[in-house]
Amino acid sequence: MSSLPTRTLRSKTAVLLTGATVLALSLVACGSATPQGQAGAAKGGAAPVSNGAAQIAVSVEKVNGDEQCVPDFSNAPAGPVTFTISNKDASGVSEVELLSDKRILGERENVIPGLKAVSFTVTLAGGEYQLYCPGAVTESKAFTVSGGAATAAANGVSEKLMEGTDGYAKYVSGQVDSLVLAVAALQKAVDSGDVAASQKAYAQARPFFERIEPVAESFPDLDPALDLRVADVEPGTEWTGFHPLEKDLFEAKAITEKSKALAAGIVKNVGTLKTLTAELETKGSYKPEELANGASGLLEEVQSSKITGEEEAYSKLDLVDFAANIEGSQQAFEYLKPALKDIDATLSEQITTQFETVNTALAGYKDAGALGGFKAYTEELKKSDAAKLTQLIQSLQAPLAKISEKVATV
Amino acid sequence: MTEPTEPTAGVSRRKFFSGSAALAGAGGMALGVAGALASGAAASAPTEPVSDVERMAARANLSYPFYGEHQGGIDTPPQDHLVFTAFDVTATSPTELQLVLAKWSAAMAEMTSGAPVGKVEPGREQAIPGDTGEATDMGPQGLTLTLGFGPSLFDERFGLAPFKPADFAQLPAMAGESLDPALTGGDLCIQACANDPQVAYHAVRNLARMARTMVKTKWTVLGFGRASAGANQTTPRNLMGFKDGTRNVKDVVDLDAHVWVGEEAGQPWMVGGSYLVARKIHMLIETWDEDTIGDQQSIFGRTKGEGAPLSGTREHDVPDFHATVAGAPAIAPDSHIALVAHENNGGTKILRRGYNFTDGLDAVGRLDAGLMFLSFQKNPIQFATLQRKLGSSDRLNEYIRHVGSGVFAVPAGLPAAGSYYGKEFFA
Repeated sequence: MSSLPTRTLRSKTAVLLTGATVLALSLVACGSATPQGQAGAAKGGAAPVSNGAAQIAVSVEKVNGDEQCVPDFSNAPAGPVTFTISNKDASGVSEVELLSDKRILGERENVIPGLKAVSFTVTLAGGEYQLYCPGAVTESKAFTVSGGAATAAANGVSEKLMEGTDGYAKYVSGQVDSLVLAVAALQKAVDSGDVAASQKAYAQARPFFERIEPVAESFPDLDPALDLRVADVEPGTEWTGFHPLEKDLFEAKAITEKSKALAAGIVKNVGTLKTLTAELETKGSYKPEELANGASGLLEEVQSSKITGEEEAYSKLDLVDFAANIEGSQQAFEYLKPALKDIDATLSEQITTQFETVNTALAGYKDAGALGGFKAYTEELKKSDAAKLTQLIQSLQAPLAKISEKVATV
Repeated sequence: MTEPTEPTAGVSRRKFFSGSAALAGAGGMALGVAGALASGAAASAPTEPVSDVERMAARANLSYPFYGEHQGGIDTPPQDHLVFTAFDVTATSPTELQLVLAKWSAAMAEMTSGAPVGKVEPGREQAIPGDTGEATDMGPQGLTLTLGFGPSLFDERFGLAPFKPADFAQLPAMAGESLDPALTGGDLCIQACANDPQVAYHAVRNLARMARTMVKTKWTVLGFGRASAGANQTTPRNLMGFKDGTRNVKDVVDLDAHVWVGEEAGQPWMVGGSYLVARKIHMLIETWDEDTIGDQQSIFGRTKGEGAPLSGTREHDVPDFHATVAGAPAIAPDSHIALVAHENNGGTKILRRGYNFTDGLDAVGRLDAGLMFLSFQKNPIQFATLQRKLGSSDRLNEYIRHVGSGVFAVPAGLPAAGSYYGKEFFA
C-alpha cells in the first residue's frame, strides 16, 4: 500500500474511473492513428479464401528506406480472415494489430526480422477496420471487409468480455461477503481480550481484503481508513484500520480499549465496502480494462509493499498477503481469459504459464502450522529470498501489464 | 557497411545515410563537427569556428552504423560512458532464447541509430509505452551496443553445445583474485557505450525490459569515464591518476593480429568476432593516495604527469626495458608496464577498453571505486597469460582487488537488417 497522495495520482490503481472520465480520456487519445496515403500499395480486389478463411499476407519491410506494413490485399469478404505477418528488414516495427475503431481484434507481437512468419485469425463482419503497425512510417492502413453487418461471431469477444466483468463482479462480492464475516469474528475475538485468537482472526481476514485490494482502493476514503500503514499517516490525522490493530496484536501483544475501537471501525468500514461493491455489481460498472489494470496493480502491490516486508511489519504475514494478491490477480485474469484467447492467444498462454510458475514457487513457502498458512516473512527470509521473489513477479507482470490495452473497451 | 567504426554526425541521421557520403576517419566529436559543416560545402571553404551549441548538437548526433563486419564498441574509439551488464537466461526453451536474441538485435539497431524501441507515448490510453522514454530526443550520442555469449550459454539447456567455440571456457582461477560470485559470469552480456550516460543506461534498461520474462540481470557496472584510448584519442587517466592505454592496440594490422577471431574458433559465427574479458577491479584508493610519487611511478613504470616511460621523456616514447639508471633498470622489471609489455610476452597484445567506475562507499566506509577493465582479444588465453603474470608479481596488487569477472564470445557483426545474433543456432 502506498500513501494516499501517491495513490490518487496513479491511474493504474484508480481502477474504477467513472464512465465520463474514461470517455474524455479516449477522445484525447483519438487523434493519433489516422490512416494516411498508402505506401507499398495493396492489390485491388478482395483477398482469396482458402482453408475457410480469407488470406492476407502482411510484409513488414523497408519501402524506399521507410519502414512500412504492406498487406497484399486491403479488402476481404466477411467471415474468418487470417493475417500472416513476416518482417523482412524493418527493425523498428515489431507488432501488427487489427483494429476496429480502437479496439484490438487481433494482434501479433514479436514480428522480428529473421524470425518465421506468424499469423492470427479473426472473424470479421462487413465494415471498415484498420491495420495498425506501431512504429511504421504509415502506422494505420484502412482494411475493408465487404458483406454482412455485425454477426454473432464478430461480436464474440465483446460478449466474452461482458461475461468476464459480470463474473468478476460476483467474485468481488463473494470476497467482500467473506470479509464481512471474517472481520466480525476478528471483532469478537478482540472484544473477548484473547490476543492469540485475535491474531488468528486477523490472519484469516486479511486475504479477503488483499484479493480485491484494487477495488477497495478505488474508493478514495475507504481504503486509507482500512489499510493505511503507519508511514503513510498524515501528521495530525488518526491512524485507523487493520494495521494499528496489527501493531497492538503482534507488537504490544495487548488488547486495549483502543484496539476494540479499531476492530469496531474495521467492521463498520467493511460494511460500507460491501454496500459500494454490491452497487458496482448491480450496475455492471466494471470494465474489462479495469480488471486488467487491477490484476497488474495487485502485482505492483506485491512488489512495492509485500516483498519489502512493509505491509505486515508487525505480524510478518506478508507472504499471506502476497499469495492473496496473486490469487486476486489471477482471478481477474481468468475472467478476461476467454476473450483474451481470441485476441492474443500467445499472450494468454504466456501469462497462464507465468502464473503457474509463481504459484509453484509460492507453494514452497506454505507452512500449515503458521498463521495464515505461510511462513513468517522474517528479515532473514527477506534477505535470502526477496530478489528471487522480485524476479518472479516481474516476469509475470511484464506480460500481464499488456492485457489492459487488448481488452480495453475504449 | 564494411567500416563499422566510421561515425556520422549531422542533424538527421536518416537523411544523412540516404543523402550523403559517410565521413572518413575515425575521429570523435571534433571531426564530426567539421565533417558535418563541410558536407555540401566546397572543399576549399575554410572551417568556420562552431559555437558550443553546434558542437554539442553534433556530439549528440554522432552515430555509428549498427550493421557491419564487426560489432561496434570494439574498435570504436572509446566513448565517455559505459553500462556493462551480464545476464542469466531464465527461459527454458531454445525458442525463447531465439526470441530474445532476435528482439535484442532489432532493438540494438534502432537504439544505435537514436530511435526508440517502441512508442514513448502510445495513442491509446490503455497502452503501455513500448520505450521507457528517458533517451527521447537526446540523439544517438555515439551509442554502441556489443553483445557477448558466456560459456554457460552453451551448456545443455538450449542444445547449443555444437556451436560452442573451440576451447571456450570460463577463465581459469588466477592469483590475486577475490571474486564475488554475484559479480561473476553470465550467459549473455551487453556492453553499452555512449557519450551520454543516460543514453547508455536507457539502452540496457530497455533490452532487459523487453526480455524480462526470459533473462535476468546478473551484475552491472556503470563506468563514468573512459580509461583507454583508441586511435587519435588523447590518453585518459585511471583513478590512480595515471594515463592508461598509451600503447593500446589501435591500428588495423594489430586488430587483425590480436583482436578479430578467424577460423580457429571452429564456428563461422565467430569469424570477425572477438572475445571480451570483463574484470571489475576495486582500487584501494585511500592507501594509494598516500603513497609517494616515486613509488607510484616505479609501480607503473611511467611518470604521472606526462605519462612517459621511465626510460624516456614523452608519453609515446617506446619503453626501453634495457635502459639503466645508475646501474639499475630505469623501468623496474616488476613494474606494471614491464610485466604486460608485448616485448616481454612473446608479442601478446590485447585491446583494452576499460572505464573508471564508482559505487559510492563500500561496507567498511572506503571509496568503492576502480577500473571496469574490458579487453578484446582473439583468444582469452591472451588475457590469461598477462593476468597470470600480473597476479603473481605486479606491485599494483597491493592497491587493487579483482572482484568481478566474465568472459564472453562476441559474435561477428550482423550484415544487414533481417539477421540477428545467434541465428545460426536455430537453423
